[in-house]
Amino acid sequence: MKTDELIGLLAKGAGPAEPAHEERRMALGVVLALPVMVAAVWAGIGLVPVALWPVSGTFAKFLYAGMMLFGGGLLLRRLGRPGAATGLPLALIGGTLAAMAMIGVADLLRQPEAGWSMHALGKSATTCPAAILFLSVPALAGMLWAARQLAPTQLRLTGAAAGLAAGGLGAVVYALGCDEGALTFLALWYSLGMALATLLGAVIGPRLLRW
Amino acid sequence: MADEGFEARLAPLWHAGREGDEAAYRAALSLIALRLRAYFRPRMAGLPDDVEDLVQETLLAIHLKRATHDPALPVSNWLHAVARYRLTDVYRRRGRRGVPETLDGVDIEAPPDSGGVEASSARRDLGRLLGTLPDGQRQAIELVKVEGYSTEEAAARMGITVTTLKVRVHRGLQRLMTMVGNE
Repeated sequence: MKTDELIGLLAKGAGPAEPAHEERRMALGVVLALPVMVAAVWAGIGLVPVALWPVSGTFAKFLYAGMMLFGGGLLLRRLGRPGAATGLPLALIGGTLAAMAMIGVADLLRQPEAGWSMHALGKSATTCPAAILFLSVPALAGMLWAARQLAPTQLRLTGAAAGLAAGGLGAVVYALGCDEGALTFLALWYSLGMALATLLGAVIGPRLLRW
Repeated sequence: MADEGFEARLAPLWHAGREGDEAAYRAALSLIALRLRAYFRPRMAGLPDDVEDLVQETLLAIHLKRATHDPALPVSNWLHAVARYRLTDVYRRRGRRGVPETLDGVDIEAPPDSGGVEASSARRDLGRLLGTLPDGQRQAIELVKVEGYSTEEAAARMGITVTTLKVRVHRGLQRLMTMVGNE
């Protein structure tokens, strides 16, 4: 087939461009992944009663993890549109990380020095990051599936953005069962969990996002 | 931008094509094909026979992904990113490492007076590949794209809804691109 014939073929009956609608796939991915994720937390560690949320710092966890979910999702959508600027989502993610780090340090400094390691490690420092990574897997599948609607040209970075969004959602859901109230704990171990999910996305992204 | 003229010529055709103007879309793709040839040729110096194949698969990719161009941004930037991605993909498929530095321009550049480069012949026959698609997809593409039926007519002939027909055409072209990318 000659190139001119191909052009004729592509243009013939092409109609208006159909929107990519990746946000629908992202929403559908979240809706499908969420029950599985919540059930895993419920079965694994049980849910924190809503009345205890102020003690367990659940709102702060929602806010931090939710910002990462939002920032990662926005970055993913920008990276999927060649030529679109990524400054805003990157600044959002960087700003949130920096703010959380400062809050984590400030929270630690308020404690007596003898109690620092207890405060930072809590009871679940070893399981929390792994649990967030584990929970993020179904969400990551949804995010990558949505990203395939787009045209990412930096596959590793796009995979990382999908991983961050998935890790954010994983952390939101993990917060439903996590009773660690210390902000230092949140700054350390939730961040590590979301970083692991980001890494996972960066590792598998290039293979799954090719087009 | 390195070349405002190209953007100025392409953008109106591209946007009209996006709204469904077939003739404008064909003109936009022709303009793009010339540019792609001029862009790929010096960067595929070791593989001159593959240039036209790459032009064709990039056109296919551009068509399938055109909705991902943000209309508020220059289309030539979008085009450049897509072309560069396809070129990198070919290097990867051909087992060549990295991308030469000459790729780092912001815009697609062509010799100022040429307006593009003549088409050479493609080695790979997309028409033959089209024939290997599953029957439903192949038939949908042939009715709409080769025989020129409207989507309504083609859907009626195949006894399917217009939506299903559009999905089949899109999936067929997508499959074509995947076949090309995996060879």
